[in-house]
Order: sequence, then C-alpha cells, then structure tokens
Amino acid sequence: MDEFKKRKLVDDVASPLIAILAGLLVGAIVMLLTGTDPLHAYGEMFTKSFFKPYYLAETLVRSAPIMLSGVAAAVAWRAGYINLGMQGQMCVGGLVATVMALYLPIDSWWGTVLCFAGGMTAAALFALIPTYLDYKFNASLIITTLMLNYAINHVTNYFVAYPMRDPAGDGMAQQSIQIAKSMRFFRFSNKNAMNSSVFVAVLVVLLMYFVFTKTKFGYESKITGLNKHFAQYGGIKSMKTMFQTMALSGALSGFAACIEIFGVRYRYVNSMFSSTGYAWTGLMAMLIAGYNPLLTLVYSIFLAGLNIGGTALQRTVGVPMQIADIIQCCITLFVSVRILHEFKQMQANKTPARVGGKKGGTT
Amino acid sequence: MNDLYLAAVINTTFRYTTPVLFAALGSLFCTKAAVFNVALEGQLLAASFVAIVANYYTNNAFISLLAGVGAGAFIAWIVAVFQIKWKVRDMVVGTAMNLLVQSVTAFLMQIIFGSRGTVQGFGMVPLTKINPTFLKFSPFLYRMFEDLSTIDYLGYIVAIIIFIYFYKTVSGFHHLSVGISGTAADSLGINSQRIQIRAVVISGILCGFGGVVHAMGNVTVFAENMTSGRGFIAMGAASMAQSHSLVAIASSLFFGTMLSLSKTLQGYINSYFTEAIPYLCTVLAITIYGVIISIQKRRAKKIL
Repeated sequence: MDEFKKRKLVDDVASPLIAILAGLLVGAIVMLLTGTDPLHAYGEMFTKSFFKPYYLAETLVRSAPIMLSGVAAAVAWRAGYINLGMQGQMCVGGLVATVMALYLPIDSWWGTVLCFAGGMTAAALFALIPTYLDYKFNASLIITTLMLNYAINHVTNYFVAYPMRDPAGDGMAQQSIQIAKSMRFFRFSNKNAMNSSVFVAVLVVLLMYFVFTKTKFGYESKITGLNKHFAQYGGIKSMKTMFQTMALSGALSGFAACIEIFGVRYRYVNSMFSSTGYAWTGLMAMLIAGYNPLLTLVYSIFLAGLNIGGTALQRTVGVPMQIADIIQCCITLFVSVRILHEFKQMQANKTPARVGGKKGGTT
Repeated sequence: MNDLYLAAVINTTFRYTTPVLFAALGSLFCTKAAVFNVALEGQLLAASFVAIVANYYTNNAFISLLAGVGAGAFIAWIVAVFQIKWKVRDMVVGTAMNLLVQSVTAFLMQIIFGSRGTVQGFGMVPLTKINPTFLKFSPFLYRMFEDLSTIDYLGYIVAIIIFIYFYKTVSGFHHLSVGISGTAADSLGINSQRIQIRAVVISGILCGFGGVVHAMGNVTVFAENMTSGRGFIAMGAASMAQSHSLVAIASSLFFGTMLSLSKTLQGYINSYFTEAIPYLCTVLAITIYGVIISIQKRRAKKIL
C-alpha cells in the first residue's frame, strides 16, 4: 500500500471516529445539563442497543430501512442530484405495496416479490416527477422533493384514515389491516423482532456497492457528480444519468419502505415514515460514510443502535429519546467539517512563512 | 360566502404570510451574497421555540421577541461558521442543522414543559395587536386588518428597507458585488467572507421575527416541528421573486394565501387533502415560474 492510500485510509477511518466521540461528548454535556449521569446513561444506552440479544435484534431490524434509504440518498447525492424526498418516496412505495398485498389475489413468497416490485416501481415513478420538473422546467430538485414529502404524507394518511382503515381496534389507531401471514418475512424466534428482511437489506446494500464501484452506470453517475461538464464532454448523457439515478434512488427508498412493512409492521400505519425519520437517519448515515455503501451499512447499524438505546433511555433513566437524534446530528456536522483535516490545515498554516506574511482575516 | 367571511380569509392570509415573507427575505439576503442557506427552517423553528420558552418564564411579549430573534441569529451564526468559514457543503450543513434544531426543540420541550406535542396556556401573552379603529366605517376593511400584530406590518417595511439597502447604499452595493463575484470583490478590498457571514446572521434575525410571529402572532402555542416546511416554502418564494425583495412580498402573499386556503377549505374538502395544498402549490408555482423563465430566454434568443 503506498503512502497516499495509507493516509487516505487513516483519514477515512479516523475522521468519523473523532466525530463520533465529539458527538457523544456533546450528548454527555447535554445530559449533564439536564442532571443525568452521562456514564450511567451511556452504559444503559449501549447495553440496551448492542449488548443484549433482544435489543440487538431490535437495532438490526431498525437499521434495515435506514441503510436502504441511506444508500438511496447516496445514489442521488453522489451524482450531484440532491434528493431530499426519500421519505415521500417511502410513503408511496409502502402504500402501493400494502394496497397490492391487501387487495390483489396473491400470496406466499411470489406475492411478496410482486408487492416489492410494485412498491419500488411506484416510488421510482414518484421520484421521477421532481426529476422531470427539474430537467424540463428548472424547478429546484431540493425544494420540490422536500415539499412532496409533506404533501404525500398527508395524502397517504388519508388512505389509512378512511378507505383502508382497519375497522377493528380502538377507534384511535389509523392503520390498514394486516397483510397475510404467508407474505411476511420469516421470523427466527418469537422472542425478538429479528427476521430475514435484514439479510435481504444487507444483500441489496452489497449489490449497490458493486453497482457503485464496478459498473458503467456507477462510474457515469460518479463522474456526473464530480463535474457535470466534464461528464458531458466525455460523452455521458446527463439526462439519461439523471433519470436513471433518481429512479434508482426512488426504487431503493420504496424497497426500504417494503422491508419495514413486510418485515416489521405488516400494515401501513398513519405517518409511519415521517414520525420514525428513517429517511433522515439514513441520510445522516450516508453523509458520515461519505457516500460509501459499505460504510453506510456500518453507520446505519450504529445510528439505529443510538435510536434504540435512546428509546430505552427514555423508559428507564427518563432522558428524552431525542438525545439520540441530537448526537446523530452533531456527528454529521462534525464529520462534515473533517476535523482532522482542519486541524492539519491549521498546523500547516503555522509555518513561519505563513505567519509572517499574513495580515490575518481572509485565508 | 358572505363579505365578512372573505375578509376573515384575507386576514388569515396576512397572518400566514408574515413568517414566509420574513424567511423569504432572509433567503434572498443570503442568495444576494452568493450563500445558499438551507437552514431557514431550523432558524424559524428555533426562534419559535425560544420565544415560547421566554414567554413561559417571563410572560412578556417583548422579551420573548428578543429571545426568539436572538435564537434565530445564533443558529444562523453556527450555520455561517460551518458553511463559510469551514467551507462545508451548504446542503450538508443545512439538512443537519434543520434536523438538529428539530430534535433539540423536541428534547427541551420534554425537559422544560414535561410534555410532547403542543405547549399552550401558562399565561403566555401574544404579541401586541393593532386594531385599525379608523377603519371602523367599513366592517369589511376593519375585519381584514383586525388584530394583526406590529411584526406583521414590519415584514413589508423590512422588504422595502432591504430594497433601499441593496440599491441605494454603498454597503448594499458591496453586498451585491460579493454575490456576483467573491474573488473580484476581495481583490477590491471588500472582505467577502465577512459580508457573507453577516448576510447569514441577518437572515437568522429575519427568520427570528418570522418564527416569533409564527408562534405568538395568533394563538400563543408551540407544537413539535410546527414550522413544517415553511423555510423551504420561503426558499421557493425567494427564488420565484428572483431574489428581489419587493417581488418577494407578492410571492410570499401567494404562499400565504395557499396556507390560509389549506385551513379555510377544511370545511369543504377533507383536511388531509387541504393540508397538502400549500406544498403542492409550491411545487406547481416554481415549475410555472421555470416555464416562464425558459420562455423569456427563448424570446431573448430570438431577438438576438
């Protein structure tokens, strides 16, 4: 391994680690301010997310939709198309898959496959709406994808509140009826939530790693993200890449939604993707991972663990579970600064020549 | 639908316009200095929350206003440091900051008020209302401008001030020059970095006003994530106005109307669909705006 590669590897591993420590430190300070012992709280948090079988299963199950939506975001972002609409695409994919599972005469594993295909297609088509608007009319992808999140969340909630609502249950719960048992993912035991959907999710993430690094499409989208004009000059059709990446991003979001519905919830619940925030956690995981699918997988499990631990913390210690979100956001911010890089820059700037010649202020 | 009902709808429109207008002004203030500020949403939400917290402890509208504006400015300052000083990508800072504010407010809400969902009551006072008694002769006009707060009017005044600042003052000229080319401005002795940081902080102050009005303008209430995308709607409004502060009044009024319709139409259409109206209209509006711009460009080419 040459010197450059070695240094890059150290940077890639060390920067997130430092950021994670800094994020946990911020969390500790917040806990101290609210009058909790951070060491005790963190002990509780990590035992009840990684070190007990029940909670580890919860964490892994929770990480599946997170890693998929993270990779969905990475597909679009690395090609330079800022997709913030993973949440909306999840809503569409999830709802379409649930409708298919409930109202079509299908069952067993091939039924599940059909529902997945339907959900992913719907989500991909939904992602293509803002893409088309951006391509044709120059409507900012950032604003349109985000606005559609809110709009589609209300619309999908309408379906579970009225036409699809489960008449059983206590009038409060707005949810559809459960999908057939034969179409659900296989659960390994009754004691915890662990099911086969997690392995499917991991397989898809690995597949995406292959697509990112070894295929023509992966190369083209990466080059487009680095420099659109260079890509065009090199003969890459920007329109085709744009629609392909956004469709793939949407399809992966839809896949994430299907995993959650067929693996865990078995039904569409009111605001199930906006209140859980899978899409945003996934987005943060992929930002920490720097668009790398394999690292996204690792950080997704870590962030999911924080969330599960946070929920446990609220129950036992009484610290609101949003502490997990605060830590996650801080880690993302700290990674984005590339603390190590900044520090090195600061050291480099301290050479006598620089200090002598500079008047301060702008760099 | 009688006249007074229409007047009431217009009145609601004014109320809903103000936060969007302030945030849109903040957005265009940044855009004019070549900064793309995505954290408007977070700035609004932070201001709303801190204003309510200050109100809870002091029961004083003015102190709450100051606290809210300060919170907006503080969040904006952090964004500025990350985005301009440390050169982090705008999208990354913006999204992370929006999410951070969202989780911090939800966290503190449970610590301070011990509840999730909404905070209301506790003898909290709303902003000072102005009643135009001189309009008493016409019930319609009176109802239109009834019970608006001072900040509601301030929004339009600030828009005019920003217009004057940009096009009639030297400092505003420097600001615009940084927006056109930072390096060129730097070479002429303008500290572009400082101007950009200042622009972001001022956008925070503006969003602060917007957030305070949003929380204390009508009913004094804070709900988890209560800004629900208004920062992004404002970005749409600012881009439709092509970052012109006076046009931003018109585009903000359009989005204010949509927000108000989403509430007033609830009697006729299912509320799940009316809630989606403002967001769909934002998408539609920036699309139509894009069409208009492309037609204009085509015409310009023909003339050449």
